[in-house]
Amino acid sequence: MLKTIQQVIGLGICSAIYLGLAVDAYALDAELPEDPLNSVMWENMASRFFPGEVVIDQRVIVQGPLDAENQMQVPITVDATQLDDVKQIVAVADLNPIPHILTLHPTRAQAFIGFRVKLEQATPIRVGVQTGDGVWHVNGVTVNAAGGGCTAPALAHGLNDWYKTLGQARAITRRESEELARLSVRLQHPMDTGLAPGIPVFYMNQIEVKSPAGDVLANIEMFEPISENPTLTLKPLVSDNVDELLVYARDTEANEFNYSLPVPAITDN
Amino acid sequence: MNKTHKILAVASAIAFATGLSSQAHADVGVADIVGDQATTQDIVSYGLGPRGQRYSPLSIINKDNIKNLFPVWSFSFGGEKQRGQESQPLIKDGVMYVTGSYSRMWAIDIASGEELWQYDARLPEGILPCCDVVNRGAAILGDKVFFGTLDAKIVALDKDTGKVVWRKTIADFEAGYSYTAAPLIVPTDAHGPLILTGNSGGEFGVVGEVQARNPETGDLVWTRPVIEGHMGTLNGEETTMTGETNESWPGDMWKNGGGAPWLGGTYDPESKLAYFGTGNPAPWNSYLRPGDNKWTSSRVAINPENGEIEWGFQTTPHDGWDYDGVNEFVTFDMEKDGKTIQAGATADRNGFFYILDRNNGDFISATPFVKNITWAKGIDENGRPIWDPENRPGDPAESADGKKGKSIFAVPSFLGGKNWMPMAYSQDSKLFYIPSNEWGMDIWNEPVTYKKGAAYLGAGFTIKPIFDDYIGSLKAVDPTSGEIKWEYKNKAPLWGGVLTTGGGLVFTGTPEGFLKAFDEETGEELWKFQTGTGIVSSPITWEQDGEQYITIVTGWGGAVPLWGGEVAKFVSYLNQGGSVWTFKIPEQLASK
Repeated sequence: MLKTIQQVIGLGICSAIYLGLAVDAYALDAELPEDPLNSVMWENMASRFFPGEVVIDQRVIVQGPLDAENQMQVPITVDATQLDDVKQIVAVADLNPIPHILTLHPTRAQAFIGFRVKLEQATPIRVGVQTGDGVWHVNGVTVNAAGGGCTAPALAHGLNDWYKTLGQARAITRRESEELARLSVRLQHPMDTGLAPGIPVFYMNQIEVKSPAGDVLANIEMFEPISENPTLTLKPLVSDNVDELLVYARDTEANEFNYSLPVPAITDN
Repeated sequence: MNKTHKILAVASAIAFATGLSSQAHADVGVADIVGDQATTQDIVSYGLGPRGQRYSPLSIINKDNIKNLFPVWSFSFGGEKQRGQESQPLIKDGVMYVTGSYSRMWAIDIASGEELWQYDARLPEGILPCCDVVNRGAAILGDKVFFGTLDAKIVALDKDTGKVVWRKTIADFEAGYSYTAAPLIVPTDAHGPLILTGNSGGEFGVVGEVQARNPETGDLVWTRPVIEGHMGTLNGEETTMTGETNESWPGDMWKNGGGAPWLGGTYDPESKLAYFGTGNPAPWNSYLRPGDNKWTSSRVAINPENGEIEWGFQTTPHDGWDYDGVNEFVTFDMEKDGKTIQAGATADRNGFFYILDRNNGDFISATPFVKNITWAKGIDENGRPIWDPENRPGDPAESADGKKGKSIFAVPSFLGGKNWMPMAYSQDSKLFYIPSNEWGMDIWNEPVTYKKGAAYLGAGFTIKPIFDDYIGSLKAVDPTSGEIKWEYKNKAPLWGGVLTTGGGLVFTGTPEGFLKAFDEETGEELWKFQTGTGIVSSPITWEQDGEQYITIVTGWGGAVPLWGGEVAKFVSYLNQGGSVWTFKIPEQLASK
């Protein structure tokens, strides 16, 4: 009797493993479209960050400077609002020592994010937007940059008491329509990559935007390449009776920060 | 037929996989910690069991085959951050968890010696550790490992990933607090398992305190300041005062009275008490604080259920020599005159080896374990020192200009007959193995006032060796008589812990870089290995896949090179490092 159960379990597990293998094999076989940015890292990036079906899609609008004036703070804007049913947005920098910049889950927010990134050298900034059918819609820009953005110490470390202002925030919220807020926030944090000599890795790795009722509107996983003092723009969906957004942030040392940001009523300007 | 065979193979493969995964994901329970000494496959507590005996029953490696002990791998802590490595690793399911200088921690795969993860605490500038940037080890419970950081915080990491689960502040590092000890996990009926920490900072006028937290969340459950006049808390509410205000302290001196329990604690499963040693009173200048200054330079037994002090025993009342009472209180059953005494032993900085009743703190005996002690003529029948008034540094107020009191020569030095490095007790030989040092000091007092974050000593000092040819001395001491059975002399001061095993062996490391093994009965040196840098940590041993392993963390540092005075000539040539060395007897030599 015992043996029978074991056999059944055994077969169950084996078939599950087979299914997993089958999916992987399919992914490997699927044709990867040609890289419009002509990067040597394209296949590697696609298999690491966009596993499954990939299409190049101009509806994913990625804006950034052609030449970065400051490789420590390169502004990037991603607008995928022309796509429906967006599950997650993954941004990577091909030629950064740590490529993964962030992953946004716009649960109840528009498929839109603005952020600033550190670049180690000229690199494609690539954004994959996964829709509900599992397909990755990918697009990107190439940004020319001087070297060293990820391996220099944060500016904060010129000060001996940088930790006293950790997590201090500046934010602007406004209402773009009855249903839509626009939130820009800057949070004080050195965002140490661990690549600057003698400075251990230390960065804000999670930001969550919630409604006062506790519904998650957007969740962002952030990684080392996000610039010092992370500066983010999001477009959460808000019903007209919501006049406040709650922002929660956490860093890799488990420092936790909570902010309450009022959402004003629509004004004429 | 063929088909049946195949199905059977699948079934056994699954069983094997299940077995593996349940072992790989077995969480540490508090019962595993309490019973750690008996389970030789893991080390889930500091001290190889919460009593701190540092005794392993393992005998696969023994007096006969120790000559065949060879390194399996060495692991470098890397980076430019070396300094003293005083850590005792933990072992669980084939993984080693080891801490290092500058508040770092690693998980290492024991089979290969490869790193699984590394965590570097992001320390603020301006940390104030008095005596090197050391860490002495971690604690483990459930799916987490815990350790304290130099900025006086305690961190809980996911044991499989090294990611921070929670991090809490023990005290304000800017006031001089820090944390270097291994946390202690104890069972309670009222709160479930608790994680207990002390604090460091006795040189900065801090207030010593023991804190208990919920290991799941890091939330405080109780706090117990060890200085009279301060209030304890339980579940966020004030409970009782420690002692009575001004009972043994004058004026406001208790407010910055020191007593830092910086070396952590031990726990006895029978008495259900947690034993913490407390540091020196602040400031060092004893004329500023007439009285016993409780509970500085003491052992206190705390009930983990509520944080109340059940008993205290002061080894150096009204200390004037920086004789911290932090050294570990190791509980054991002592057979004497046909009776079994539930005892505890501690080898104090002040040079005396004390035996107390572990249930009520009653004094049983005290015997010198270092030579030529001068500060006291002995210990009386109540356990109080018989001071030698000539050998307390003089009152600066009585000097001509009021700036410097009379200097005296005291033995032991302020670094102690024994410092932090833990001793071991063998359940076979019934002896304690005490890593000690033979040295004294010139010490004098000066006026001082308290200033937040500044050294609060009111004393000057310089250490001197007593003998020309050695300072370090590993001694085997019979607790029933205080008799010293054997002694191993080492040129440089000993600063590493001791391990004893069922194989009849005593292990310790030396600043000269050797890990050494001695015969527990005779003290004969049976084996040594040069690790390439000084050893100031505590060895461990465990069993994995039928083989016995020995591990030592290496890396010269600690308080000696920082405070060494005339001792410098014994140690100034020693080089820093930062490695883990792991040994076993190679398969082809195992049977020889």
